[in-house]
Amino acid sequence: MSSKETSQSIEPLRKADIAIKLSEFEIPPMQDIMLVGKKAPIGPEAVRQMVDAISPGQYEIIRLNDQEIFEAAVIKKSLLKLLPKEKLLSVVIEEGNRIASENMVVKAQINITIHISRMVDL
Amino acid sequence: MRMVKNIMNQELFTIDPLAGVSRAAEIMEHFKIGCLPVVEDGKLVGIITSRDIRKTHPNRLIADAMTRDVITVPPTASIWEANELMEKYGIERLVVVDKKSIMGIVTKAQVIAELNKYIDSLTNLNGVRVFYERACQLVKEGHEITVIFLDMDDFGLINKEYGHIYGDSIICKAAEILNKIVDKNRDTLCRYAGDEFAIVTTRPLEDAKEFAFQLVNAFTNEKWPEEIKVTVSAGVAGGRRSGIRNFNENSNYIVKNLINMASLASTKAKKQKRPVVFVEAVDFREIV
Repeated sequence: MSSKETSQSIEPLRKADIAIKLSEFEIPPMQDIMLVGKKAPIGPEAVRQMVDAISPGQYEIIRLNDQEIFEAAVIKKSLLKLLPKEKLLSVVIEEGNRIASENMVVKAQINITIHISRMVDL
Repeated sequence: MRMVKNIMNQELFTIDPLAGVSRAAEIMEHFKIGCLPVVEDGKLVGIITSRDIRKTHPNRLIADAMTRDVITVPPTASIWEANELMEKYGIERLVVVDKKSIMGIVTKAQVIAELNKYIDSLTNLNGVRVFYERACQLVKEGHEITVIFLDMDDFGLINKEYGHIYGDSIICKAAEILNKIVDKNRDTLCRYAGDEFAIVTTRPLEDAKEFAFQLVNAFTNEKWPEEIKVTVSAGVAGGRRSGIRNFNENSNYIVKNLINMASLASTKAKKQKRPVVFVEAVDFREIV
């Protein structure tokens, strides 16, 4: 092709398709409990910063020093009114250990139902 | 012996705990350094090393990757003390801190390079400076120490009869024998000078006396080249320090006295043809 032909050639047409997905960002994004793996992309301090910024005062961060997979748990304080921390965490961590690895951050939705049976004198 | 402040890196790079691990990696790579002290509001809150970075996700905050318990050393600490700390905690670096402000970093390589200047080149034993430093440190820590001074008998004659090369090989063999016997947890051995060796030990005085006999007998029982007879005389000096209140200020005085008494005792042992001479416990008094 000569230089004359090149200068007269038509520029190729470029187009872009834009696809948009909109959905609501959940506040707070960590649901009821979040378990932070030891090699996860975020650590307990980052979680603390995030939680303090997004939901100040609503979550408690617990460092798990004796666990193999998780190094921290973020737990909604309101849940702790229903169940003691140790009882709730031991169950959640046990189940988390079954499905998670050190590289993961796992969020858990917790539904607690309290069963009460009382008798009163008539 | 030189202090930590004489060899530390004073060009200091620090990082904020809320910075990212990847940022720390960039800084370390750029400046060719192996660690960064983590500083928050002017306070040292941790340290991040290349080892920490290797085992951490690059997206993490420094606060989630750093080592929180930082082993620090004062600038006036001796090279020996710095080495002891590194050995004790199995670490490669110490942050040098003076009254809570960071002054620099000292690395294992720097410490070893400096310590090598105090190693006797012929025998690879500690030189006298290391020995002296160690003895002073033990006194400062409140240990009751004993000094054993060993002087080889008629070594001049061996040099004259067999030559200095042979004499040097005898010195090396003597160092090997002593090095095998000493317990590194309790004894610090050095080549003091020429044909003299010294040991500072935390063994109780009675045990140190027995130990001195063991050392002397090791020479006697050894099969030396050319069927030559090599013997050694030992002087042992230990001391109670009930009269001393301030060990820090008086450690030099105590150590110098013990070395001197032990060396004189070894001379006495030679003259009297006794294997070991003890200097009975001396009651050190406060220097006025």
